[in-house]
Amino acid sequence: MWLWIVLGVLVVLAALFVFGFNRLVRLRQEVNTGWSNIDVQLKRRADLIPNLVETVKGYATHERGVFQNVTEARAAVLRAETPAQAAEADAGLTVALGRLFAVAEAYPDLQASENFLRLQDDLTDTEDKISAARRYYNATVMRYNTAIQSFPGLLYAGPLGFHAREFFSADEDDRALPRVALTPG
Amino acid sequence: MTLQEQIRANRLRSVLVILGFVVVVVLLAALVAAALDVWLGAFALAGALVYAFVALMSSRSMVASMTGAQSLPPEQLRPLRRLVENVSIAAGLPVTPELRVVDDPAPNAFATGLRPEKSFVGVTTGLLTTMPQRELEAVIAHEIAHVRNRDTRLMTLAVIFAGVIAFIADIAFRSLAFGGGRRGRGGILVLVLAVVGFVLAPIAAVLLRMALSRRREFLADATAAEILNDPEAMALALRRLQLDPTTVRHADASVAHLWIESPTDRLETDRRGESALAGLFNTHPPLDARIAALEQAGGFRLGDGLPADESFLAEHAGS
Repeated sequence: MWLWIVLGVLVVLAALFVFGFNRLVRLRQEVNTGWSNIDVQLKRRADLIPNLVETVKGYATHERGVFQNVTEARAAVLRAETPAQAAEADAGLTVALGRLFAVAEAYPDLQASENFLRLQDDLTDTEDKISAARRYYNATVMRYNTAIQSFPGLLYAGPLGFHAREFFSADEDDRALPRVALTPG
Repeated sequence: MTLQEQIRANRLRSVLVILGFVVVVVLLAALVAAALDVWLGAFALAGALVYAFVALMSSRSMVASMTGAQSLPPEQLRPLRRLVENVSIAAGLPVTPELRVVDDPAPNAFATGLRPEKSFVGVTTGLLTTMPQRELEAVIAHEIAHVRNRDTRLMTLAVIFAGVIAFIADIAFRSLAFGGGRRGRGGILVLVLAVVGFVLAPIAAVLLRMALSRRREFLADATAAEILNDPEAMALALRRLQLDPTTVRHADASVAHLWIESPTDRLETDRRGESALAGLFNTHPPLDARIAALEQAGGFRLGDGLPADESFLAEHAGS
């Protein structure tokens, strides 16, 4: 009799564990997908930069420091290894680009250049896409981290190699972090 | 539920709908065979399967022609294309669904497709001229949510199956009307059973279709709010749709479930959901209920007026 009860409890526990484990694998997979989405857009943005710098150089020859900054910021984005580093480098690139565009204001010929306008447009688009990808990624990280840090996940997540992941955000209280999580039904 | 869990739950629902369909069709065909004629039963079964297969294969182009949704050359409506791309990325969708436009002054939108990579999102020109960017984004997110959650597939199956079941029942009734019943060997009991079955099955299929559709609408609203992290935008968009008096001209009842706001529930009581019985046959929950659900989840209350922002099209005029 007791043997059966113990066996039954063990079977239920094993089933719960398998279920929970599979869920963690799934959540981790979503985080990885989310990260590769951001990565694609970061690369796309970085790919636009050399072209932009060349175009602006053709008009604004005396702004060496600004170009240097942009090129360095771009290299930092490509060097970044963790989401937090990438987010910081990306924010740095945004600042450097802001300066470049401010400088470009002073050159009407450049402003009228079709090539420049298209690059500027593409960059804006990429920035929007980075922030969209960030929204998805941060939401997946939130779900994954909650799952491994709450019961019963926290009992086995650590030993099995599930570790908390970093958000993609440069500053602490980022508005891009998910506020709502609503899924009725 | 996470995205993957949501998709799995919907896959299970799709399987159940398919199984239920097969059972009902076989039962109906058996009733036709028992009460009327064996060959007619076999014909109904074969016809139903061919009908379902053809409808599934051509659902995409059928929806396109029934709604009048046109594809546009890539250089047109670039801002809108980008908006759809960005919402898809924020939704974690691996591919951006195709964009199509319906030339209609009523603001509305829909999504369809058996698989995300073969889906398209349709918007009316009226949507672009009435919605400001923020609300338009919410409407697109609602449609992307349908694609992402695989609602589009589930609903396509449900609609086609309801159609096939109505088709068999129709054959059976025509045959009864022409006195086919006398050829049956099952006696009066089987005949009565058959008639009850022919009446109830299509009604049940339609009720199931409507119930599934209403449920998916609430979920898509919630998913859209989550994708954009902005439940208020979704609620504002629904309120704007509610206050707009126009309805889509191509309001074909067989594609009514696709639209974000039902094009067929024209009566004010329908829209408000005051008649409980009529509500069972609606494809959409009342807009008030949908707005209230968002208000509750997001912890806000919509004011009386709507933001008087410039419409998307006006804002992006010239590009």
